[in-house]
Amino acid sequence: MKHLLNAALSTILALAAASQVYAIERKASLGGFDGFVERMGAGTREMGRGNTGTADTASQPGAYWNPAILGFRENTNYTLNADKRDLDRMGGNAGIETKVGNRMGVGFAMLYRGDLAFDVVNEDDETVGTATPYFTMMYLGFAYRATRRDAFGLSLSMSYDNLDISEHMEGYEVVDDYRSPVTINLGWLRQWNNNWSTSVVIRNLSFSENLSAKWDRNTSTDNTLPSTEGVRPKILQIGLGYRSHVMGKPVYAWMEAIDYQVADTLLAFDPQLHVWTGRVGFECDIIEGGTVRVGMDDLDFTFGLGYKFNVRIGQKKYLFDVNYALLYESEAGLWNPLSFGLRGFFP
Amino acid sequence: MNFFKCGILLAVAVSQGLAAETLFSNWTFKVAPGSKTGKLYVFSRGDVASGITEVTLKPTAHGITAEKSKQISVGDSMTAVHDGIFRDSWAERRRTPSATAGELGLVLPMYAADKSGSFQDPSGFFSVRSAERVVETPLDPPSFADDLDSAMIYASTGFAYDSASKSLWVARGAAGVTHYDISGGPNHPEATDYILNKKEAKLEKIPTGKHYSYKKSKNASILSVAVHPKTGDLWLATEKGLWIYDGKSAQSLKAIDTTKRVTGIWMGGKPFQMIAEVSKPEKDGVQGSLWRSTDGNKFKKVVFLDTTGKAQKKDVFANSSYTVSDIAFLGNKAFIAVSSTGGNESGYLLLDSAGIRAWETDEDDGSQWLNGFERGVTDRDVGITSITAFPLTSKIMGLAVSTYGNGISVSADSGATWTPILNRAKLSNNLGSIRMVPSVITEVGVQSLVSYKVGKPSKITIEVFSYDMRKVRKIVKDAPREADNSRSTYPKEDFWDGLDDHGRPCTMGIYYVRVKDNHGNVGWGKVMTMGGR
Repeated sequence: MKHLLNAALSTILALAAASQVYAIERKASLGGFDGFVERMGAGTREMGRGNTGTADTASQPGAYWNPAILGFRENTNYTLNADKRDLDRMGGNAGIETKVGNRMGVGFAMLYRGDLAFDVVNEDDETVGTATPYFTMMYLGFAYRATRRDAFGLSLSMSYDNLDISEHMEGYEVVDDYRSPVTINLGWLRQWNNNWSTSVVIRNLSFSENLSAKWDRNTSTDNTLPSTEGVRPKILQIGLGYRSHVMGKPVYAWMEAIDYQVADTLLAFDPQLHVWTGRVGFECDIIEGGTVRVGMDDLDFTFGLGYKFNVRIGQKKYLFDVNYALLYESEAGLWNPLSFGLRGFFP
Repeated sequence: MNFFKCGILLAVAVSQGLAAETLFSNWTFKVAPGSKTGKLYVFSRGDVASGITEVTLKPTAHGITAEKSKQISVGDSMTAVHDGIFRDSWAERRRTPSATAGELGLVLPMYAADKSGSFQDPSGFFSVRSAERVVETPLDPPSFADDLDSAMIYASTGFAYDSASKSLWVARGAAGVTHYDISGGPNHPEATDYILNKKEAKLEKIPTGKHYSYKKSKNASILSVAVHPKTGDLWLATEKGLWIYDGKSAQSLKAIDTTKRVTGIWMGGKPFQMIAEVSKPEKDGVQGSLWRSTDGNKFKKVVFLDTTGKAQKKDVFANSSYTVSDIAFLGNKAFIAVSSTGGNESGYLLLDSAGIRAWETDEDDGSQWLNGFERGVTDRDVGITSITAFPLTSKIMGLAVSTYGNGISVSADSGATWTPILNRAKLSNNLGSIRMVPSVITEVGVQSLVSYKVGKPSKITIEVFSYDMRKVRKIVKDAPREADNSRSTYPKEDFWDGLDDHGRPCTMGIYYVRVKDNHGNVGWGKVMTMGGR
């Protein structure tokens, strides 16, 4: 266990250092690219452990985390999560997934992020209205379990955004609604044994040139404003999971290395066109059904709690899992203590 | 002409709902002397409506402050600034002319919307009697209007007021010139239309109710007018040189070639001088030049000087399609506001007795002669749309410029220092509120100002974060900023243009701007960008 902790600590430091190094050198800022809804993760349980979820067959919604997870489904699950962050940011997600046949699974997920109070200020420094812009991502995933230990998955995703500012923009016929084309995400998950699991997820492939998820946006209906471009970086996400016991208590460690290719090319080998980040999380079932979690997503710290319980309805027992998470966004210095989630399992 | 005798007096209701804090709008196109010493008229055209502000100004130890202002809307169906003000290639139509015309007050052109919805239908002029009353004064289109290619050919492009005869002259392009006589009172005007007959060298009266046969071979468009303060003669800038009308006949002034298209004539200053603009669109853009005379007989081309006073072969017109927006005379100097096609480059040229002087060593782009953002005339990189001299106090003549988006700038020391005056919302002290102005970056290049206030001198750091709180841009770090009652923003640096630290446009979305000082205060603002490519 000591080795495991040392390795984890080293990984955190290495990822943090790498992140800092490339923050100086890279030619584009990741935050300026499309896909923040996707980057922020989904699920309160997963957030509590650093937004790790690709190598865990229990992660939800599977269609978002790793569509291969759906191949391990044994019943029908659902999840509902909501979080309120500082600066009027509101987010949430929902997912439902189920087993299909003996080896397949299917799932749907929807991710939402928005701002509850965006003041539209004109050039005359007048507040002409308050908008509530929102940004969503939808995923439809399919998986096939090739062996008892391996599953492969595919999900189709698209975004729908609404800026909600058009009624306040005098002099412009601004468009509020934007849809991205459908993009493809591929996933693989292998449960090596009772202790180890690994995953590989490739996100944001498209049928466009260079397989890039890139599209045009017409920002005004009367062509008074130039059209703009959306580019969602291709993502390679490699996950590792480890399960063990410490003092008789089940413990879990999760790690993910993520490469964002911040360039509109098929493959870029120039390290300046890549942003590398990492995620790491730990869980411990400290009491029967009760879990404590900590983690880091890039440089953000997370903490989480979870509790599982059964409710008997008629002849059946229904399992529920309620979760809480706290997030500290360290670069911005913001505490976000309000994230709650529910997972449910139909027997 | 009973139509004019009766006049249509239409005092447009004050639209308090649209009125902002200091100016009707920060999109200002014209500054002109107000009704009294210390007052200035400002014409704004906002997103929806246009309006006039009369602002009372007072010089203080820290610059100039706006003591109070009165505003009046001219509505959303008429405006003094036509839609082609920046893109029109004809010099006389790239400015907003005005004149202080006795009981008529400030006169400005008036445009209605044409069939396509563009404000390019010349309809007469506004008579701004006071900050509470604007009178719409229609002028009939010429009888041969249907023979012309567009209505803008008879746009009102110049005004001159003869205080001796209480007459306003309106230059109306192909429609000639309108004599608007108010000697019987402003509510009983007598309007008469004249057209220049260059063949017979006279101003022909256009008979009322009859069709006039306009011919290019016979007639010449009148593009600007001025009344000589000593002789009372009417000077006509026409597409065929300069002409002088003494009330009986019109004479061509041989000092400027009659083949030249004279698009503007201005008079004033001590010693008295006359400045004429010659300008014509060519294949390579607008070809312009400035000519000056002190006696009215001889006009010499204005020379452009370097910082040592040496005349240059190339002038500002060689670099871009500049045209004159306005001229302000202050003593022996003339401040000539110019703007390029599209309005991207603008500023004023400082003309003294020797010529137009450069303020820095030679630049290839001609910017050495332009006084604008780099010279502190404006504190944001915005276009200058007009300039005027006005009595700031009984002892000080002030200068004012109007700007496209940043209100006005005023100087009490002959242009050495300038104070911006514009609409500003109130802010909480010590970074208690951060406002991004405007809060939506509609396209790459639009600057959103980070507005904040600190109570004591501070070192300010401003950073932009994406929704997922990844830092995308550091705007300033530990930049010294002064305490200010209104705001501490330094507009030359404290803005976001939608780009990340590497100069790449950030994608469409909402971004969060953090302002920190060295006293532990932190404030956040929000801004949205429509993205780029």
